[in-house]
Amino acid sequence: MLKKNRIASFVDDRDGQFRVDRSIYLDDELFNAEMEFLFEGGWVYLAHESQIREPGDYFSTRIGRQPVFVVRKRDGGIAGHINACAHRGATLVPFEQGRANAFVCRFHGWSFNHDGRCIKIKGEETGAYPDGDPKERYPLTPIARLESYRGFIFASLKAEVPPLKEWLGPAHTWIDLLADQAPQGLEVVRGASTYTVLGNWKLQAENGADGYHVSTVHGVFAKTVANRQEKNKIDGMGKTEAGRMTGNVNSGSYHFGNGHLGVWAQHTTPQVRPSWRQKDRLDKEFAPERVEWMLNRGRNLFLFPNVFIMDNPSSQIRTLNPIAPGICEVTVRCVAPVGEAPDARAARMRKFEDFYLTSGMATSDDLAALEAVHTGGGARAARWNDFSRGMTAIRHGSEDADGAGIGLVPDLMTSNWDHEALYHGFYRVWKERLLAGAAA
Amino acid sequence: MSAVMNHHEARVATEDLIYREARLLDEKKWQDWLALYTEDALFWMPSWAGEYETISDPELELNLIYLKDRSHLEDRVFRLETGESFASVPMARTVHVVGGVTVDAVDNAEIRARASWIVHSYGIHGGITRGGWYEYTLRRGGDTLRIARKKITMIDDKLVGPVDFFHV
Ligand code: FES
Ligand SMILES: [Fe+2]
Repeated sequence: MLKKNRIASFVDDRDGQFRVDRSIYLDDELFNAEMEFLFEGGWVYLAHESQIREPGDYFSTRIGRQPVFVVRKRDGGIAGHINACAHRGATLVPFEQGRANAFVCRFHGWSFNHDGRCIKIKGEETGAYPDGDPKERYPLTPIARLESYRGFIFASLKAEVPPLKEWLGPAHTWIDLLADQAPQGLEVVRGASTYTVLGNWKLQAENGADGYHVSTVHGVFAKTVANRQEKNKIDGMGKTEAGRMTGNVNSGSYHFGNGHLGVWAQHTTPQVRPSWRQKDRLDKEFAPERVEWMLNRGRNLFLFPNVFIMDNPSSQIRTLNPIAPGICEVTVRCVAPVGEAPDARAARMRKFEDFYLTSGMATSDDLAALEAVHTGGGARAARWNDFSRGMTAIRHGSEDADGAGIGLVPDLMTSNWDHEALYHGFYRVWKERLLAGAAA
Repeated sequence: MSAVMNHHEARVATEDLIYREARLLDEKKWQDWLALYTEDALFWMPSWAGEYETISDPELELNLIYLKDRSHLEDRVFRLETGESFASVPMARTVHVVGGVTVDAVDNAEIRARASWIVHSYGIHGGITRGGWYEYTLRRGGDTLRIARKKITMIDDKLVGPVDFFHV
């Protein structure tokens, strides 16, 4: 088992420099510790409520290495269980999503209700079980904690965790900024894409909250859409917001606390956002600072350790599902306001497809870049990745005038998304959580 | 090309065009490839909405690729040709193997056909084989036959590496 002094040695955190050992992307023992103490040892994002609307709707996924599913109960509540039969462990739900009145195991035919109670043992009468009702001894194992925040369902396999809202901390303000654009709620749009990244999950976590790469890696995307717009005289919502990729716009980067990260950049053409349609309503309902945050600033929010919620001209839920140190499955889904006008929805989808997919014109480049970092991590003779950019611009707590407008008091921030100081927060939390779990 | 075309002639003409497209993609002759498409051509690859079905409404649901005229295909080529796309340098080698061409309908204006495909690509991710089927609408005009619609259903998910128009 990973020793505390080894964990401590992965992060070089001192005045004037912040570095991490590149072996953190490659080490098998470390990966197992991350699964146990981070993914299986605290809150993780699981699903969106719109994916399980009707009674019996289920959604199956994994928490760390463990298969789980959540189901909408008849009373409207949500139950979550380990996806392994209480008898001899076969997974119970064969599909990622489906609807079931009860869960019937396909191995020996035992049945379980939505609450996880065993309701039938095939051949119970001839089973020669000890006295009493044997079914009572075989409930499914529940997910220890399950809570929703504004439609986003989070789960913890460990019971001793703070309430969800407390764990989200200031990061909840950015969930609110998205959810407040959807008076009838948000929904996951039909369809999804999963890509298998040949790189460590932390590189995906870093990349989605990295403003610094945007003008290099996505310069070609900006150039391509500029050419398209010039050639085709495109206007309105068909245009692409590219200011963040080319120009110097106002921006910021945050460590909210608990490993949660955020980057934002000012839009130069906010009217291309599908949400711009709602401006009149939003102006009436919310303070100008809030509306400014909602409509004029693209935001990528990372909730430690496994989800991005992005609200740019298109909007996305991106979940990270680590398989091994060098393999991470990533699923991207579009999340959008229920009842959105069809032309606005269509524009949102086209922007998503342009940018966010491995079959798109930007995410593909992101993945190539982070896979290159993973490969570079194999160069053990060169030990460190450097995150010192922004070192002398760090501010804490309520020193952020921008955040004040929405009551956002981050742990750490700089007023530039080119800066890397937010990762100090990520890796400090990462290290502390591993140290708390690890053996001396 | 005569206005009256029997089923056999239609299949031969369709195969000629589909095989030529596969070859031009493998040879990375992008401009010649683009010329096979009508100006208003639709190029569409839906995403999966479950184990058995893809999305059905490309306007309002999520596609892997949904390009509604040839100029959007030109954008893809433009991006590749800049040499600045991280994912596209070095660019994978590909071989398209297309078979099972069946013609579903033919009239004076159009041929509708379907084919199966396997594309093996080799690049920094090593060798990757993906497969699926194509649904084509080919538009007849004078002596020419051009692609007015190409729908690609790729059976694979959990994709490794980039999937651009030439990988499928
Ligand atoms: S493993 Fe499920 S009934 Fe035996
Ligand atoms: Fe990026």
